[in-house]
Amino acid sequence: MGPCFRRDDTGGTWARDKTQTATMTATLRLTVNGKSHDVSAAADTPLIYALRNDLELNSPKFGCGLGECGACTVIMDGVAARSCVIPVSGCIGREIVTLEGLGSRERTDPVQRAFIEEQAAQCGYCLNGMIMTAKALLMRNAHPSETEILEALRYNLCRCGAHLEIVRAVMRAASPERAAS
Amino acid sequence: MTGSLRIVRPVAGGDETFIEIREDGAIVAYNGHVDLGTGIGTALIQIVAEELDVGFARVRIVLGDTAHTPNQGATIASETIQITAVPLRKAAAQARHFLVARAAAKLELPVEQLTISDGLIRGNDNRSVSYGELIAGETIRLELADDVTVKAVDSYRMVGQSQPRIDLPAKATGELVYVHDMRVPGMLHGRVIRPPYAGVDAGDFIGNSLIAVDEASIAHIPGIVAVVTIGDFVGVVAEREENAVKAAEQLKVSWKPTPSIPDLTDIETALRANPGTPRVLLDKGDVDRAIEDAAKPIKRTYLWPYHMHASIGPSCALADVRPEGVRVWSGTQNPHLLRVDLSFLLGLPESDIDLIRMEAAGCYGRNCADDVTADAVLLSRAVGGPVRVQLTREQEHAWEPKGAAQLMDVNGGLDADGNVAAYDFATRYPSNGAPTLALILTGMIPPVPQISEMGDRTAIPPYDYDHMRVVAHDMPPIVRAAWLRGVSALPNTFAHESYIDELAAEAKADPVEYRLRYLRDPRAIDLVKAVAARGNWTPRPEWKQPESDGDIVRGRGFAYALYVHSKFPGYGAAWSAWIADVAVNKATGDVAVTRVIAGQDSGLMINPDGVRHQIHGNVIQSVSRTLKEEVTFDRAGVTSREWGAYPIITFPELPSIDVLMLPRNDQPPLGVGESASVPSAAAIANAIFDATGVRFRELPFTPERIKAGLQAAGVTPPSLPPPSPQPQSVMTRPRAWALPSLATLGAVACAATAMLWPWRAEIAPIATPDPSTYSAATIARGAELAALGDCAVCHTGPSGIVNAGGRALETPFGIVYATNITPDRETGIGAWSYPAFERAMRHGIHRDGKHLYPAFPYNHFTRTSDADLQALYAYLMVQTPARAQGPETKLAFPFNMRTLMAGWNAMFLTTGAMTSDPAKSAEWNRGAYLVESLGHCGACHSPRNALGAERTGSAHLAGGFAEDWEAPALTALSQAPIPWSENELYNYLRTGTSRYHGVAAGPMAPVVRELTNLPDSDIRAMATYLASMNKVTGATEEHALATRLETLTLDRTLTRGMAGERIFEGACAVCHAVGGPELFGTRPSLALNTNVHSATPDNLIQVILHGIDKPVTSDLGYMPAFKGSLNDRQVADLVAYTRRQFAPDKAAWSDVEAAVARLRGGKVH
Repeated sequence: MGPCFRRDDTGGTWARDKTQTATMTATLRLTVNGKSHDVSAAADTPLIYALRNDLELNSPKFGCGLGECGACTVIMDGVAARSCVIPVSGCIGREIVTLEGLGSRERTDPVQRAFIEEQAAQCGYCLNGMIMTAKALLMRNAHPSETEILEALRYNLCRCGAHLEIVRAVMRAASPERAAS
Repeated sequence: MTGSLRIVRPVAGGDETFIEIREDGAIVAYNGHVDLGTGIGTALIQIVAEELDVGFARVRIVLGDTAHTPNQGATIASETIQITAVPLRKAAAQARHFLVARAAAKLELPVEQLTISDGLIRGNDNRSVSYGELIAGETIRLELADDVTVKAVDSYRMVGQSQPRIDLPAKATGELVYVHDMRVPGMLHGRVIRPPYAGVDAGDFIGNSLIAVDEASIAHIPGIVAVVTIGDFVGVVAEREENAVKAAEQLKVSWKPTPSIPDLTDIETALRANPGTPRVLLDKGDVDRAIEDAAKPIKRTYLWPYHMHASIGPSCALADVRPEGVRVWSGTQNPHLLRVDLSFLLGLPESDIDLIRMEAAGCYGRNCADDVTADAVLLSRAVGGPVRVQLTREQEHAWEPKGAAQLMDVNGGLDADGNVAAYDFATRYPSNGAPTLALILTGMIPPVPQISEMGDRTAIPPYDYDHMRVVAHDMPPIVRAAWLRGVSALPNTFAHESYIDELAAEAKADPVEYRLRYLRDPRAIDLVKAVAARGNWTPRPEWKQPESDGDIVRGRGFAYALYVHSKFPGYGAAWSAWIADVAVNKATGDVAVTRVIAGQDSGLMINPDGVRHQIHGNVIQSVSRTLKEEVTFDRAGVTSREWGAYPIITFPELPSIDVLMLPRNDQPPLGVGESASVPSAAAIANAIFDATGVRFRELPFTPERIKAGLQAAGVTPPSLPPPSPQPQSVMTRPRAWALPSLATLGAVACAATAMLWPWRAEIAPIATPDPSTYSAATIARGAELAALGDCAVCHTGPSGIVNAGGRALETPFGIVYATNITPDRETGIGAWSYPAFERAMRHGIHRDGKHLYPAFPYNHFTRTSDADLQALYAYLMVQTPARAQGPETKLAFPFNMRTLMAGWNAMFLTTGAMTSDPAKSAEWNRGAYLVESLGHCGACHSPRNALGAERTGSAHLAGGFAEDWEAPALTALSQAPIPWSENELYNYLRTGTSRYHGVAAGPMAPVVRELTNLPDSDIRAMATYLASMNKVTGATEEHALATRLETLTLDRTLTRGMAGERIFEGACAVCHAVGGPELFGTRPSLALNTNVHSATPDNLIQVILHGIDKPVTSDLGYMPAFKGSLNDRQVADLVAYTRRQFAPDKAAWSDVEAAVARLRGGKVH
């Protein structure tokens, strides 16, 4: 069998099928990193795709699509949110912050800085989720204990084994003088 | 063109460049290996900057790009520092020598009188010249010489100093562009659909199992550009990523039945049955004789399961295949060889393909078979433009080539003096040369098993036994496998280092001292001694029962390895030794690795912090592999398809790690990417032995394995049978609409006949009323009533046009289609007069006289007041008419005889509006009216009799079934562990969630959503009425009960090791564990959830399979569907665990797996 492919005559866009309401494209307004963005997507589009593909914010990483690993974490209305399992329709009117919104290389957020100073990553694919989850933790608990940090990160998976550096980074971010000692 | 100095190696087709220094002073270093997330790029820059005497920031490194870097093979075997950095270092040194010589000539000074600082060569007379100035506009090409003098180690300033990694600032700010983040103009999104033989890549069915692809099945998804099929390769391309995802999920693909693979639940049998060719690696002394003469022969078998690389990022690639050339952005570990594969796949010369290596998620060997790059190439070729492809989590888990299982047999024993008599070692390792998947799926290469010689890594133990034989049985793969960190060295060392511990125990010798008797390598001896000293190792020549702390016993184990890798006999990377401390819970079988002392001799360390981080990573990953990891299979292939079924270590399980790095600056640098993981499993097994006196020879050391082993050894008493939960009247699944018997049908017929005339007259059509007839207040009131009655929930069909009908309602009598109730004259109710409407609502008669079926709950609607019916009529008649003729309801005989409904009505219908109960409050009466009339709660929440009529009396609202969901009892018969109070009923009906009960899902979610149109007073009234049927519970009592129930769930003793526990922990606990992390959305507490305590598992299964994608409000959060990630068995295991853990007083459900299969095809709400 050879490759078979087709492209329809309208340049690849299929006529909208009225029977599938979920696939109908709508314009949705998202507030991300303090700015408003209009995104044309179906209402059930997972937030991660709108952030990555429409807003070109690369930090949320697709890891599982099931909310299990945490790589896609953003902060929404002040709490950690797994952007792979939340449709854009559920994000309208909410304040979304991504890793890019925390800071840049030139102006890092204290949590980002602590992660860099502790060299708290290897491949770094999970790093977005680690920093965003840590940031959300520190927003509600400025001085977490080590146990609280371990529990807050329990459902963020890292495969390279950068865990110890990550925990040190969160402790440093929470209490710079303590980490230095 | 600007001037440059390049150090090159000529190869066929041109030069390979190692170092390039440009006239502006910029330095670029090229290495054929890639950075797999280890920070190797930083270390390579240190080496180059050191040899060139320039600042770290001046050097840029290019890794693995086929157009620019030398071909140095796959990035494997911890070889980068040890092997591929060698020519790079020499090239840098050669460049420096050349430039210094030039400077000497230019400055007319002898070389001895020159110093270099950051690329500036200065004479002792203070005149200076920079590297750039020495090159100026010239193009200088030097061939890499062999005999280059490199710097003396004692003159190093940069190598050997810890250097922060170059990549982390960009990674920590989201600025680093991984291959996953690469995008180019016009880029489309592809997804692949893999065959059902998950993770199998050999067998004659491969490449020819596809029967058909039904493209019409995804015609409704916008922006589909292509469906590509070649052999068993299937892919879709769409304009938007989420649509490619959807298309891949929904595309109907039919496959031939898949042949069975060997039973991999019994790996030992499978490996013994797999035909192997013995290859003798070592035969020393007279092994057979020595075993025969042994005073104490000891024969042991050690078993290693299939592991996953388990990369956090599913593979991703971007390809742009065009007639003028091919560009590929890839995360491969093996760029040059992958280019050979792509060239074969496309039928193009390699020179037409530019493979750009981008950073990817850590892969630990997986990306040696970077399947996704070939997938992207095929899809890009089909559409003629750039296509990005990412695998799903399920595909990554199922299809990544696994770390192979391994079986190690050791025969040997002790002589009379307690010395090792002989060591006869045989290892079986199914091969791991996974070919790029697209090549076999498309039939480009035959799917024949390739046998490779990979089981021999570190197969020869590090001990100098007098009589020793080592045999590797080379054998074909059973499932797809590839290199995984440590390859066969980890399993082989597990056997070597467990066995010597067993011998030491038998010989009543301290295990460290016993090892030292047989070690000859001075660096090994130094390391073993240093690690023992670091850990204050106390000799333990004889096993002693440790002090226990309740159920916890503690122990410590030792293991050592020199990781010998590459083609046999290979060579060593870093030396590694471990002390592992464990705590074993004898009651549950839990093993915690509490501390690891990891000692390492890596020779010269380029970047000591980088080495330390590699040791940390190796320790953590290998503890995870040892304690938790095992790929599961059924007879079709891999069944671990998400993190619940393949759990890896989590933060609270981390050991503390004490790294001891021996200073060996005088020795060449060694690879550190794998060595520290090699002693892991044996050190932990030896520690468990030290704690319990029981030897475990098969990984992983899961609670169930440890508990079973301790029980078999008599250390732990046998498990008591589970406490028999309170017997409970387990209802058989009540059906909302049970099939009637002939006799009952007869009764209906008789009742119909008894009525003089079961046919009713048509009521004449009227002109559609003028909307201005109705007041705004009436219409508004009608809108509330329509919401209360959920009109739109049933009467809105697939068109999405509100109330235009067409929705299929399944009943055991057949499918009843909801009708159009918009005021369209032809297809809706535009020609209906109020009397016609009222007759339908009160008597179930269509305007034309036909009987309606009681799927339309007129038995409730009949109780509505006249005023409310009029308001509802007004509201419906002023809506926008929609012309839509839905499918006609056609039930099979005898239910197609609508006249029978006259009999049904005679038997079961009591018409007329409700009367109030003067003994009750006005609020209660209001609630009763709302619930029993338009609210029609009983339509779902009351059980039905054989004729589909709601049962009354004590059965009223006692629980029913609707749309394959259980509608729980609303009365005191509720299974909710905390009785429903008025407040919680109010919270639930108002917000869709109750702290003490859970969230509205399934068919209840749209009901609550409709109720948002009702005023608070009505919701409160309904809550008052419904609460009156339940035991009165106060807020304090609710809170206390909830706390007690949730606290109970923290005790895992009874459920530890249940198959579903792992899945729960990996897939569910993130949102459902009591006290878990704060996340967007609610955190429904399963201990309090009615569905978990119900007599039937249906609702629990429904939400697991189909998730909650349309909650009442987005504030509640969403739940993903697991139907594509868990099979029926796994869902059943999860359900069984959930029941046992969160409803411990309830009996286990039976036939759960069958229920899962039944509900799998169900509707998503």
